[in-house]
Amino acid sequence: MPKITIDNQEIECCNGVPVLQAALEAGRDIPHYCYHPGLSVVASCRLCLMEMMMPNPKTQELQWSPKLVPSCQTPVRDGMVVRFDSERVRQSQATCMEFFLLNHPLDCPVCDQAGECHLQDYSFKFGKPESRMVDQKLVNPKKDIGPNTLLYQDRCVMCTRCVRFTDEISGTHELCMVNRGSRTEIDVFPGRPLDNPLQGNVVDICPVGSLLDKDFLFKRRVWELKGTPSICPGCATGCAIRIDHANDKVYRLKPRFNPKVNQWWMCDEGRFGFKYVHNKKRIRSPLVRRGYETLTPSWEDIPEIVRFRLEEHVREKGAAKVAAVLSPFMACEEAWLLARFVREIAPQSVLAMGPVPMEGEDQFFPVGAKGDAVRFTILKEKCPNRRGVEMVLHAAGGDIVTFEQFTERSGKGDFSAAWIVGGYPKPWVDKNTAKMGANFELLVLQDLFVNELMAGAAIVLPSCAWVEREGSFVNAAGLIQSFERAIDPPDTARRDGQYLYEIAGLPGLYTGERVRERMAEALPAFAKAYAAPELPVHAH
Amino acid sequence: MISEADIIRIDQPELTASERMYLPQIVDGMKTTLRHLGKNLLKNTFTVQYPEQKRDLRLQNYRGVHRLNRDEQGRVACVACYMCSTACPAHCIHIEAAESPWPDREKYPAKFDIDELRCIYCGMCEEACPVDAIELTPQFDLVGRTREGMILDKEELLAVFDQTAAMKPRKNPHVTGYAGTGSRSCSCEIPISHVPPSAAGASAP
Repeated sequence: MPKITIDNQEIECCNGVPVLQAALEAGRDIPHYCYHPGLSVVASCRLCLMEMMMPNPKTQELQWSPKLVPSCQTPVRDGMVVRFDSERVRQSQATCMEFFLLNHPLDCPVCDQAGECHLQDYSFKFGKPESRMVDQKLVNPKKDIGPNTLLYQDRCVMCTRCVRFTDEISGTHELCMVNRGSRTEIDVFPGRPLDNPLQGNVVDICPVGSLLDKDFLFKRRVWELKGTPSICPGCATGCAIRIDHANDKVYRLKPRFNPKVNQWWMCDEGRFGFKYVHNKKRIRSPLVRRGYETLTPSWEDIPEIVRFRLEEHVREKGAAKVAAVLSPFMACEEAWLLARFVREIAPQSVLAMGPVPMEGEDQFFPVGAKGDAVRFTILKEKCPNRRGVEMVLHAAGGDIVTFEQFTERSGKGDFSAAWIVGGYPKPWVDKNTAKMGANFELLVLQDLFVNELMAGAAIVLPSCAWVEREGSFVNAAGLIQSFERAIDPPDTARRDGQYLYEIAGLPGLYTGERVRERMAEALPAFAKAYAAPELPVHAH
Repeated sequence: MISEADIIRIDQPELTASERMYLPQIVDGMKTTLRHLGKNLLKNTFTVQYPEQKRDLRLQNYRGVHRLNRDEQGRVACVACYMCSTACPAHCIHIEAAESPWPDREKYPAKFDIDELRCIYCGMCEEACPVDAIELTPQFDLVGRTREGMILDKEELLAVFDQTAAMKPRKNPHVTGYAGTGSRSCSCEIPISHVPPSAAGASAP
């Protein structure tokens, strides 16, 4: 690994990265707009300029270079000596910032980016407190460039990150630069709006408030939001995301850097796919039926009721008549707790995997890319944790069936009691499944939304959306990633993990980590979940 | 658990004999009371016979009920930037922003509620406002029959402006919001004459 010296401080860095990247990784805050580690280097913003030690061509004596060089375009070499902490560099940064603000409207109070805007941050840190501009600023009205995105042209700093994104990552080439000089603009081609499945990322990588999300526009100021690291449940890719929420409401999802899965990106389907969390039709409290009577017991009584009803059933009908269907939307911990409980009550019970939703085909980006050229993947398997639940089922052993086999066998009357877990964001109970509900004498339904199975269920437990739970998902590549809870469940609902933990009779409060410790005895892979490295604020 | 080493035990100091009598303290206190009584008996300076008499207030400084200012066209001057609710230490301002119906402005408050019971009348909202849209008025006799009634909404706050505009005119009446983006007019810019030359056009974002 090469060693370079930045401001008299020797740092070790990866081979072949630009000096800027090495400095950022070493924790330095070097201003930059156009450089993004996931995109090609254009060195157009001139904000990351540095001084470099070079040999004088006449005397071969090492001295500071006569001109400043862009650190984003200079790859590291062993023994390189550079500096950012000099009067010339600071002067250059301040002058650059002055240019960036020439036509900037300075409308931070009404700009949605304020609070997470690089232009704002760098102005405070590296810019000058006043502008010498005496002419009228150029005013350029906002443009509607796509179904989900607005372009505020006069806030733009022309870093072209968005243009490079559509060229290099999504491969759809919707955005381009038009005009020249100070009148350059970002624009779309006539009749071709920005509507590719990854377009939301241009809003994230825009360092200023130029590209804004229509969905989040004017909803909240960003400093009111609290970010919780999580995993996207939209498909089996398992992108690392950040849930931005306030007052128990999710406002937006943002991608989090994860070198092993999604890099810096996420797809629009995942980004806007959280709306079901705040759907009014969610099941909000537990229900228990006895004869024609429907009761809403308190959560303290639920473990006892569930255990008693199931034990009673096993005594009457035998353990082999019991089945449990685990959903691929469950966290591994929840699946493990449920499988463990069902097997404890009825050791010969049958465990099944719930239906795995598939939609369309796998999508690879840039569009048309194959093999190593693929930068981002959206999988057709629209659930986060099929592999995790399979691992749990495999570890549980015994009679494991698919959902089709389960439906078939329950049609033949093989099972008289079943615990069915839903938790699908979209309606999942088809006609066959709905009919199946009548086959069971004792049906425990754990689901998000009211559905046809509920009519025949003896016990209904509200399931929670992933933002309200904690645990871990195993993605398509077999990577175990943990996620934290961001908000509280609605009304009297409780998080699945907590009540399954209580039903399983374990002491104390449920936490994903505590259950993973127990799971690790049978499934050593769960001893440690992968966590993406945290990056400083201006890392990209 | 807190370890024993981290616990600091403090005993109350013993009272001295004179302290235990309490009399010297009572005499001390009465002295102050009687001094004020004497002063007031000689010449009555402090009592204002409210509500027949009213105090002279310093209109520009007094921090009473809030108002939402109107611009010269009678529209609400607020641009829904949330600066006041961010600055508010009592969390009593609730704003909901929406796209403004006027071409010269980006946002406007669809809802603007101030809980006058929660408010501590510190004036931070007025300090924070970038367009001088929220101001505290010299009105101090706010009464209500219910707690809900004391939450003033946008219309009520604008009504306070209508009542008090004559008594205390708006600070910078020509400021009509942060237009800039989305419009061709530059009416939003604070005229140079109102800003000291060193700060003209400065305001780092």
